[in-house]
Amino acid sequence: MSEVKAPSENGFFLRAERITKVYSDGTVALKEASLEIHPHEIIGLLGENGAGKTTLTKILSGLLPPTRGRVISPKGAVRFSSPREAFDFGIGMVHQHFALVGMFTAAENVALSFERPFSRLQLTKTIEDLEALMEESGLQVPLDVPVEKLSVGEQQRVEVLKVLSRDVDLLILDEPTSVLTPLEVDELFSLLRRLRDAGKSIILITHKLKEVQDVTDRIVILRQGEIVGDVQTAEATTERLAQLMVGHAMKQEVDAVELSDHELPVRKTHKAVDRSGRSILHVENLTARGNTRDIAVDDVSFDVYAGEIFGIAGVEGNGQSELVESLTGLRVPTSGIATINGANILGVDPRQIYRLGVAHIPEDRLELGLVLPFTLAENAILGVHRWKEFRGAFSILKWRSINQHVRELMDRFEIRAAGPNAPAKSLSGGNQQKLIVGRELAKDPAVIVAAQPTRGLDIGSAYYIRQTLLDMRGKGRAILLVSADLDEVLAYADRVAIMYEGKFMEVCSPDELNRERVGMLMGGVTAAREIA
Amino acid sequence: MSIKEAQQQSRLLRGIHRTLTGLHPVLESLIAALVGLLVGAILMYTWGFDPWKAYFALIQGAYGGSYEWASSLSRATPLILTALTFSICLRAGMFNIGAEGQMYMGAIAAVCITYFTLPPGLHHIVGLIFAATVGAAWSLVPAALKLMRGVSEVISTIMFNWIARWMALYLAIYVLVDPMRAEKTLSIPLTARFPILVPRTDLSYGIFVSIAFALFIYFLLWHTTTGYELRAAGLNPSAARYGGIRTKRTMFLSFILGGIAAGLAGATIVMGLPPTYAIYGGGGLPQLLNMGFDGMAVAMVGRNHPIGIIVAAIFFGGLNAGGRVMQFYGSNPVPLEMVRVVMGAIVLAMSIPELIRLFPMAKKGGQNLIRSLRRTTRSAPEEESA
Ligand SMILES: Nc1ncnc2c1ncn2[C@@H]1O[C@H](COP(=O)(O)OP(=O)(O)OP(=O)(O)O)[C@@H](O)[C@H]1O
Ligand SMILES: [Mg+2]
Repeated sequence: MSEVKAPSENGFFLRAERITKVYSDGTVALKEASLEIHPHEIIGLLGENGAGKTTLTKILSGLLPPTRGRVISPKGAVRFSSPREAFDFGIGMVHQHFALVGMFTAAENVALSFERPFSRLQLTKTIEDLEALMEESGLQVPLDVPVEKLSVGEQQRVEVLKVLSRDVDLLILDEPTSVLTPLEVDELFSLLRRLRDAGKSIILITHKLKEVQDVTDRIVILRQGEIVGDVQTAEATTERLAQLMVGHAMKQEVDAVELSDHELPVRKTHKAVDRSGRSILHVENLTARGNTRDIAVDDVSFDVYAGEIFGIAGVEGNGQSELVESLTGLRVPTSGIATINGANILGVDPRQIYRLGVAHIPEDRLELGLVLPFTLAENAILGVHRWKEFRGAFSILKWRSINQHVRELMDRFEIRAAGPNAPAKSLSGGNQQKLIVGRELAKDPAVIVAAQPTRGLDIGSAYYIRQTLLDMRGKGRAILLVSADLDEVLAYADRVAIMYEGKFMEVCSPDELNRERVGMLMGGVTAAREIA
Repeated sequence: MSIKEAQQQSRLLRGIHRTLTGLHPVLESLIAALVGLLVGAILMYTWGFDPWKAYFALIQGAYGGSYEWASSLSRATPLILTALTFSICLRAGMFNIGAEGQMYMGAIAAVCITYFTLPPGLHHIVGLIFAATVGAAWSLVPAALKLMRGVSEVISTIMFNWIARWMALYLAIYVLVDPMRAEKTLSIPLTARFPILVPRTDLSYGIFVSIAFALFIYFLLWHTTTGYELRAAGLNPSAARYGGIRTKRTMFLSFILGGIAAGLAGATIVMGLPPTYAIYGGGGLPQLLNMGFDGMAVAMVGRNHPIGIIVAAIFFGGLNAGGRVMQFYGSNPVPLEMVRVVMGAIVLAMSIPELIRLFPMAKKGGQNLIRSLRRTTRSAPEEESA
């Protein structure tokens, strides 16, 4: 059933032969997967969450040994013990889960990946190179701030820059675009095209079909560990790709947002929100400092009403994270007012905020959302572990009802895992995300603060989560949706705020916006300044 | 069908992998013990001792009969508790090196109950509560320093060990001293001594205190929200905070529990160790010396798990008891120094798996230290300009 590509005449760079991967807990992640990678091509790797994409790319880059099968290259054996060795061989990978040293700056992290122990001299040179590269790739990050203080989107950019700064022959990007804005994605893609024209091979993993169709030459589709398709991009239709991924034709409405072209997405749901009454979430003149002590949220005021989705769009690192953290008890703002149904939430313990009926989907799923060594079950009660359902007399945990709760979550949100006792770190990235989203939405909250809720989710899961958010809106919940995925915000929010350098540039209905205008607002250009 | 083959093939690999990554801790420990024994054997062989006979003596001396079992268990009694001190705090993300000092304070507190009379039973309980309270109080100071001033608990607990040691020595020699026999403190009255469990041995009912406390900690950590919060805070403080867990509280709690364990360890030594039921001041507290530090090794061998710690402590007690027999074993006496070297090799080998597992955590601790240093160096110029 797979469509095999005619062998390229200019030889291959890397070939995976009948790769099977069985993880130590018995999970079969790959079954007899074969793939050939040539110079001068960009390969898109598609598949649902847990299909084995990350596993395959880790094996291709020589960092994970396959259980059976082999990876060969005309250059020699593909088996490395560190990313640095892989770099030296000519393979660079941007991991789905970042591999940065938190206390080092972006420049130091890049310098670290070079083979020689770095000296001051090399650091200066690295900074120069990086500045040139940032110009070329359109990915801007502060170079002199420890990366642990950067937002997830900025960290992702650092990862991409780190790999781009090395002169590699094969570039593997595992969901590099999940927290980038469309404009950044465009610039990154044109850089990738230039690299391809210079003879590099590139593997790109993403869940956004239009990105794949936009930039790749060839698309490989994985389903439950098997390669079920290997097609030329020019010949692939969206429907066909979607069908290959899930194994059956997909429901039509799923495609609406994800598959839309470069125009603004069609809003699928219109709902008149009653904004005459009192708001649920009220924020007034909120100012907060970021991790670097600079003002990150600058005098922001807004209200979210019952039955409303209030979207915040913008380039990552413009204060969205700090705003969310301030509203969820994780950051103490410098001044301002924020209330939920009249009760103060600023500088208050997260536990008290949850008591007001808040659910928080954090942007950083590894640092905040999960305790990775904990099991699925233990993670599924994080934040709700004191609920009566899970905690009996003498604060004894009711494991039986916890396990039942986890099974329900696994069913409802299609979390693919070995079982309730599998450690969270063994889940695929998308499944980890589903676990967090499921846990938070299952609280049946009054207010939902969702940062990048569909990050890394496959089309079907993202659709389900968005539908769940719409359902909650229908039930009169107030939803704050922060996302770098512009299409998502514009299609689902009832009102949108564009955030730039800590301020709201504009608060309006998505209908009043077009792509150019959004782009300008995100870059800090207001209508007034534009005229001037 | 090749997938099935691969699955089968991987089962072996999986076994090996698990052994190496700690998924099969028991097997892993056994292998580590064998490696340790082998190293010890090579050392003894090189210096002209017969390893077979020596190990035979060791095992005989450790578990050869009820007397030997009893002395092994008796030595295990305080070790279980001091190991728990370290492990509880580690589970909460803190390095508590202070079991030694907390145990001294607990022992001193236990001696104080000689000053009043109570019926048996009640007297025991009062003694234990006394020791536990004083142990906990002693560990609260480093905890408070950490939470309020950011003082590294590693450094402060080590310093507190020295304070406790000299204070205990002073109290034992000058204040609580037995007027008849100046080398020791007053003896615990009969109403507060733990009865002997196996006649003519030094194993007392104190062992039940240790085991009960270990089981209590096991239950607390894995079956209550309190333990859940403590472990979450230890593994990922930011996620714990996100989950509404007050990490300062869990840190504090871990130090209190650790202090209680160490205090109880002191009490079991004083109230449950025949024949004197007292602390010897002469010779620098010989009964208490290093029990807290040995507890850390027990914690490593027992993988910081209460049940593992019970097993590891019995193993440790066996090594101690059997080691003495090794020295005097008829045809092949091994000198004390050599015995110590062999013990060291075994313990080291058995700690390695857990040490490796803890490495990332230690690394994080190191990074935090560097970060705080950086902070001080960075803020210095700012202060100048201000
Ligand atoms: N370390 C591990 N131990 C056990 N199972 C694992 C481990 N890592 C991944 N798996 C399992 O292997 C399968 C494939 O995972 P992989 O991470 O490759 O998926 P993916 O295609 O990258 O998914 P996603 O889109 O969610 O990132 C999943 O079922 C996952 O649970
Ligand atoms: Mg993945």
